Amino acid sequence: MAVASARPADAPASTGDPPPDRAAARAAARSRQALVLVGLAVVLVCAAVLAVALGSTVIPVRTTIAALPWVGDTLAGWPVIGGGVPDEADRQIIESLRVPRMVTAVVVGASLGVAGALLQGALANPLASPDVIGVTAGSGFGAMIILLAFPNAVTLVPLSALAFGLLAAGLVFAVAWMGRGGGSILRLILAGIAIGAVFTAATTGLMTAFPDRVSTAIFFIAGNLNEDGWSVLRQVWYYPVAGLVLAAFLIRPLDRLALGDDVAQSLGVRPRAIRLAAAAIAALLAAAAASLAGLLGFLGLVVPHAIRLASGTSSHRFVVPASALGGAALLLVADIISRRVAAPLALPVGPFMVLLGVPLFLWLLRRASA
Amino acid sequence: MSTAATRPDRAATPPRVDPIVRASGVDVRLGGTGIVHGADLALRAGRLTAIVGPNGAGKSTFVRAVAGLLRPAGGTIEWDGEAIDRVGQRRLARLRAFVPQRPAVPVGIAVHEAVMIGRSPRVGAFRRPGRADREAVDDALARADALAFSERQMTTLSGGELQRVQLAIALAQGAPVLIADEPTSALDLGATATMARLLRRLTVEGLAVLLVVHDLALAAAIADEVVVMHEGRTVAAGPPTDVLDRERLARVWRVDASLHADADGRTALQVAWLDERGPGTTGRADGPDAPPAADASPGADASPGAGARGGTGAADAPDG
Repeated sequence: MAVASARPADAPASTGDPPPDRAAARAAARSRQALVLVGLAVVLVCAAVLAVALGSTVIPVRTTIAALPWVGDTLAGWPVIGGGVPDEADRQIIESLRVPRMVTAVVVGASLGVAGALLQGALANPLASPDVIGVTAGSGFGAMIILLAFPNAVTLVPLSALAFGLLAAGLVFAVAWMGRGGGSILRLILAGIAIGAVFTAATTGLMTAFPDRVSTAIFFIAGNLNEDGWSVLRQVWYYPVAGLVLAAFLIRPLDRLALGDDVAQSLGVRPRAIRLAAAAIAALLAAAAASLAGLLGFLGLVVPHAIRLASGTSSHRFVVPASALGGAALLLVADIISRRVAAPLALPVGPFMVLLGVPLFLWLLRRASA
Repeated sequence: MSTAATRPDRAATPPRVDPIVRASGVDVRLGGTGIVHGADLALRAGRLTAIVGPNGAGKSTFVRAVAGLLRPAGGTIEWDGEAIDRVGQRRLARLRAFVPQRPAVPVGIAVHEAVMIGRSPRVGAFRRPGRADREAVDDALARADALAFSERQMTTLSGGELQRVQLAIALAQGAPVLIADEPTSALDLGATATMARLLRRLTVEGLAVLLVVHDLALAAAIADEVVVMHEGRTVAAGPPTDVLDRERLARVWRVDASLHADADGRTALQVAWLDERGPGTTGRADGPDAPPAADASPGADASPGAGARGGTGAADAPDG
């Protein structure tokens, strides 16, 4: 009988007959994603230039562009934006103060955006942010212990924030992964909340013990970029850079994890290992961000969601890099506002990031559910 | 052989090929409790094997161990002649695809994106999926009859559509062995029949298919071989109508029931649902006082393309 090779007569009707609008639907989805990426990139570049130009003193954009390392030479002959002539003072301010501040904002924004995207993917939980794995509380404590108890060693704040952030995350992982049933999402989140509470309590204890010094810590708690030049970046730059590079290796495994642990395992990844790696890299990024700019954890929660809402996809191949762009752009714009609102007084960037991010986020949320 | 006669497409499958998967004496313990004890199984290309058994018999656990999702406490599981713990996750991902019982439904992922994720074991790390991969995704969607909704979001699909997408994700892996844990348990009659036809067709195309099935009539209709599990042991294996006889149904499931399969591939399970003599009864129960026989079968037609349609709408009449 030759039945085995015969195509089934009752094969479902739609097989091999794709609807004609399939390619169009895919192209529309792709162009929407491209639009989001390009939009973010444009905002990021413009904000980067403006962040250098606008500070307590305003430097004209043309002058700013001319003073930027390598960018100035490349764009010298361009109409409108080329041909500025910076004087030595402008150069000094731009190169030693404003560019490092701008770079710090980009690194911090990108780190927190990626940290949030990794955690939300790894924990399959839309509420995940660096806060839930204890990093924020740990970093806060690390900074406070220096600022309040050892104010003479203020240069150690970044390293202490980094170290305690990683310590807190390490404790959370140890508790969450030990013993039977370790590595479950619920256990990780509950361990994060518990360990975070310990560090928050310790921070409160410190504030009670040194009430007269608390005011010096407000900028760190609020989230703040400052004009320390390159010194802090030079100390810690490799942590966020390493975190961002490692995050790229997790994009595809996280996409598999989105199909559930069983399917992910069927596709050749170990769900627990991926979850641990993603959480560890997110902890590294968030702790590094805290060491550079204080507690801005909210950015990590809101930016990946905004990216998903705007682009219509949750694929990590898109969300992780776009969250890096989006986080950097949001923090840069917020930083510009925070410096101009009460100029020449610079306010902490954190509240402005929230003021800017939340309405944007709520608008996207409303539009998506409409 | 009676099964070969009832299902013509099966007569054409190669009678004896070396198994791709061989499990013998498999023990699995979960949290200190023994769940599977000395279970055996062999999977061959072009053969559909259904594991049946009561709730808690260890079917899912055994299948997960065979698929490499659980580490067995004892026994041997060989893939391609090699012990499973030496095969490695990455190679295993190219040998078998696993469709779980309750798949996660990702938010914000379109069907074709999910199927492309299924393709990922075949796409090199850090390489973008190429034309061949996109064609493989379309092929998987077509074979799973999911092409019509390939652009929709996963969250908008019905249960039957979702299960076909899961099948497409598994097919995109391009593995010679397909393992599915109760792929039809949440589906209505029509969706179950569609899934049965798809699985049968994939088998005819050459896949080795392993299913956990609760519906015995369905198992009898689509399987070349059924393996009966009872209290963690594989107690019988063979052609469905040979294995699922009245005595075994009484012993393993503790019901008075009989399985009927007729020449055109229709199957029915006749159960004395309310028979108080119930458990362990091996005698005839369909006397005049017996409740009317109920047909629990989804009526899956398992012989796609089979030329020989036996009778004219042969009824699922009891043969007693």
